[in-house]
Amino acid sequence: MAKQVFTLNVNGRDHELFTEPNQSLLEVVRDELRLTGAKEGCGTGDCGACTMVVDGETITACLMLAPDAAGREIETIEGLADGEQLHPLQQAFIDHGSVQCGFCIPGMILAGVALLERNPNPTRDEIRVGIAGNLCRCTGYRKIVEAIESVAGA
Amino acid sequence: MATETRPEYNVVGKRETRVEGPGKVTGSAIYAADVQVPNMLHCKLVHSPHPHARIVSIDIAKALAIDGVAQVVLAEDFSKVVKDGSNPAIGASNRGSALLAHGQVGFAGEPVVAVLAETPSAAEEGAEAVEVTYEELPAVLDLEAAMQDDSPLARPPLGDVDRSEEEAHVTLDVDADEAEGKATNIASHVAFTRGDIDAGFTESDVVVERKWRSAPMHQGYIEPHATVADYNAASGELTVWTSTQGQFMVRDTIMRILQWPETKLRVIGCELGGGFGGKMTLTSPLVSALSVIAQRPVKLVLTRAEDLMAATPSPGAMVTIKTGMKKDGSFTAIEASVAYDSGAYPGAPAAIGALLSASFYTWPNLKTDGFEVLTNHVSVGAIRAPGTHNAMHAVEQNIDEMARQLELDPGDVRMKNVSRTGDPMASGQEFTAIGLDETLAKALEHPLWQNREQIAAESTETKKVGIGLAIGGWLGGLQPAAAEVMLNNDGTINAVSGANDISGTNTSFTQIIAEELNLPMDQVSITTGDTKTAPFAGMSAGSKTLFTVGRALREAAIDLREQLFEVAAERLEANPNDLELADGEVKVKGSPDQSLELSRIASMTTGFGALYKPVVGKGSIAARKQAPGFTAQLARVEVDMETGNVRLQDFAIVQDVGFAINPLSVEGQMEGGAVQGMGIGLWEEYIYDDSGHMRNAGLLDYRMPTAADVPDIESIIVEVPSEDGPYGARGVGEPSITAGGAAIQNAIADAIGARVTHMPATPERVLRAMGKLGDADAAGGD
Repeated sequence: MAKQVFTLNVNGRDHELFTEPNQSLLEVVRDELRLTGAKEGCGTGDCGACTMVVDGETITACLMLAPDAAGREIETIEGLADGEQLHPLQQAFIDHGSVQCGFCIPGMILAGVALLERNPNPTRDEIRVGIAGNLCRCTGYRKIVEAIESVAGA
Repeated sequence: MATETRPEYNVVGKRETRVEGPGKVTGSAIYAADVQVPNMLHCKLVHSPHPHARIVSIDIAKALAIDGVAQVVLAEDFSKVVKDGSNPAIGASNRGSALLAHGQVGFAGEPVVAVLAETPSAAEEGAEAVEVTYEELPAVLDLEAAMQDDSPLARPPLGDVDRSEEEAHVTLDVDADEAEGKATNIASHVAFTRGDIDAGFTESDVVVERKWRSAPMHQGYIEPHATVADYNAASGELTVWTSTQGQFMVRDTIMRILQWPETKLRVIGCELGGGFGGKMTLTSPLVSALSVIAQRPVKLVLTRAEDLMAATPSPGAMVTIKTGMKKDGSFTAIEASVAYDSGAYPGAPAAIGALLSASFYTWPNLKTDGFEVLTNHVSVGAIRAPGTHNAMHAVEQNIDEMARQLELDPGDVRMKNVSRTGDPMASGQEFTAIGLDETLAKALEHPLWQNREQIAAESTETKKVGIGLAIGGWLGGLQPAAAEVMLNNDGTINAVSGANDISGTNTSFTQIIAEELNLPMDQVSITTGDTKTAPFAGMSAGSKTLFTVGRALREAAIDLREQLFEVAAERLEANPNDLELADGEVKVKGSPDQSLELSRIASMTTGFGALYKPVVGKGSIAARKQAPGFTAQLARVEVDMETGNVRLQDFAIVQDVGFAINPLSVEGQMEGGAVQGMGIGLWEEYIYDDSGHMRNAGLLDYRMPTAADVPDIESIIVEVPSEDGPYGARGVGEPSITAGGAAIQNAIADAIGARVTHMPATPERVLRAMGKLGDADAAGGD
C-alpha cells in the first residue's frame, strides 16, 4: 500500500509521518513515534489497553486509522505527567496499590482522567461503569476504583 | 494465635507502594512487545484451521513473492539450528518442543508455518498467502469419550514427556503412571487410596454422587505473548527479550531444545503484563530458532485471537465424585475421578486433581484418580493454582449437598472436617503448620454468613438471593534461589535478583533488605538482572517467589550485615556481637560516639589502596518444606428467576498468608484472584463448536469480569506463621483463585434450590438447573 505523509499532534508536539495509511493510530504511535505506553491487548477495541484521548474524547487507538487522527489533538499516557510531577491520578494509583502488572494501567488512568472530567464527583458505581471498557486482570478493580474516588472532586 | 505474638518490625509488615510504580503509571515501563531492535524482522504464524489433520503439503512460493517477506520457515528447517542436526519439532512430546507442527496438527490454531518480513503487515500478507494442504483426521473432542479404550487417538503415542514446566508450579512428591502398553488418550494417571471406601460409604448416613464439569478458561493476562530474539552470527550470542514468569526456565528450555550453550544465551524477562501461570516459554524457543535461521533479530507478538486459540489456557475438567458423611457431620469416604482435558499435548495437572480433591478435609477412606486426557483441543498449561478450582468446584458442592440432605450447617460440617497441622494429605504426606481452621473460622464469623437467613429473606418471587461458602488452597512450590546484596559507595544498598517480578515481589524484597539492615526503603534498590547477570532464581510461579527468593535475599542482607560488622569491629576495636546497624551507621551498642557510617565502610572496602574486601552479601537457599496457604470465600448472589442471570452482590475472601510482608500487595493478590474466581464461576469459558473450533476467540465474547460486573471485595488477612518462610510468610498468589467459583455455585444453589452442574453458571445453565429449559442434567452448552 502506498505510503502517505501526514502530521500527528501528540502531547502538544507535531510529528510528520510517512507510513502506510492502513496502520492504526496505536501502531504508528508505538512503532514510529516510539511512545509505547499505550498497549495492544486485543486489537479489537475490547480491552481498553490502547486508550488515548483524541480531541478530549477517549478512544481505543487500535481501532482508529492513523491518518484519521491527523489535525486532532492526541494525548497519550506519556503526556499526562508534568515532568517530575505526576498527575494526581497517577500518584493515586501508586498510593492505593492500584498498579500490579501495569499493562492496563496507562489506558485505565486515561479512562479515569476522562471520567473525572465528565463527572467530577462520580459515585463508586459510576466509576465502575466509567472504567468498564478497560479490562484489568490483576487487581480485581477495587483499588483502582478507590484511587479514582480519592482524587474525585479535586 | 500468630497475630498476638507477632514481633515488631520496622519495614516488613507495612503497607508499601510499588517500587516500580512510577514507570508503570507513566507508560515508561518496557514490556516485551515494546522492544525494537535495529534490522528486526516481524513474524506472523500460520495456524492450522483443523483440530486434527495430516499436513500433506505446504506451498510457500506465493508468500515469498510478497514484497517485504524475507523468509518462510517450516518445521523441517529447525534441524539447521540444533547443534547435532536433530529436529525438536519431529515427534515432539510436549508443546514447548513443538516449535511448529511437523507432519500433522493436533488442534485448530496449532502453528504450522512462520513468515518473517520487514514489516508486520508484510508478514501478515505473507501468512495469508501460504498454502497448506491438509488431510483431515477424526477429531477427538469429547473428554469422556476420549477416555474410553476404543476412542480414536488424538495424537500419535508419546515418547518421554518433558514435564519441567508443570513441575514448576507445585512441588509434589508423586509419581504419575505415564501411559504404557496399548496407546490411549490418557497421558498420565495418578491415584491415591486410603482405608476402605466401601466400608466408609456403608457407615454413611448420606452419600452424594454427582458429576461436575468446569470449562476451559484463559489465564486472561492482558498482554499477549511477545518475544524478540536477536542472534548475532559473528559472536554466536543469542539475546532474548520475552514476556515470561521465569527467565531462567526460558534459558534452560532454549538450551535444551536448541542445544544452545548458556554462555551464549542471555534471556531478559521484561516487565510482565500478567502471567497467572500462562507465561512460561511458549514462543521464546521458536523465535530464538527463527532468529538463528534468519540471522537477524525477529519479533513475534501474538494477537489476542492467537493467544486465545493457540497459547496454553487452563483445562476444562470433568469430576465424578462420591462423598459420604455421618449424621454427626463427620466425613466417611470420598471417591473422586478428576479428568482434565489436556488438549493436544500433555500439560494438565492430573496429580493435583488426585491430591487436592481429598486433602483439604480429613477423609478416613479415600480413592482418588487424576487423569490427563489428550484431545484435539488447544493444549493447556498452568493457571493460578492449576487444576484446583476444577476440583474444589466438585468437592465444595458435594459437601453443601450432603449438609443440606442431613439438615446440618455446611459451615459447621466443614469446620469439623478440615485438615489441620499434621493431618495427612491424600498422598499420606503430613501437612506442615497450616491455618485452614483459623481461616474458615474467620469466614464463619463474617456477617454474610452469620446473617444469611435475614439476607435470604430479601428474596422476591423474581429475584432470589443466596449466600455461598467454599474453601480452597494451594500447597506451594519449592525451588532453590540465590541473590546478592551490595554496599554502594554512598552507603546505600543495591541488590540483584533473577526473579521476574509479577506480583510486587521486588517491593517486598526491598522491604526485607531494609528490615535486615535497619535502613529506610529509599536507601535500598533492587534490580531484576537477566540470566547472565543475576544469580539463579526459580520461576515466579507456584506461590513461591517471596517464599524462596525472599529467603535468599534475607540471607544475603544478613551476610552483608556481618561483613559490615567485621570491618567495623576491627576499626572500632569492638566485638562484632556488640555492634548494631542504625541510621546508616554501624554503632557500638551503648556507646553512641563509637560508630562508622556505611559510606565510610564503603570507601574502606572499595577505594584505591583500600584495606578491606568489598562488601557483597550473598544468599543461597534450598527450600524443602512447603507452606500451604488456604482461603475461605463467601459470595452473595441474586438470581433473576426469569432470565437465569446471576448478579454478584457481595464477596469476601479470607486467606492465611502466614505473615503479610506487604499487606497492600497481599490484598492485591487476594482481590485479583477472587475476581478471577468470579470469572470462573459465572462467565469465562472456551466455547467450541461441534467441529472443534473455538467460537469466542475475542475479548468481547470471551467474557472476563469488568469493573461493572463485580462488587467491592472484602479482604480479610489471617496470619498463621509458616515454618520456613521469611518472617513466617507463606505463598499468597494462588489460593485466592481456588474457591470463588465453588462459593458462587453454592450461593446459586442456596438461592434457587437447585444445583448448576456445569461451571460457569451461565443464564442458560441456571435456567436448566431450575428445570425451565427441559432436562436439568443435560446442563447444556458443552
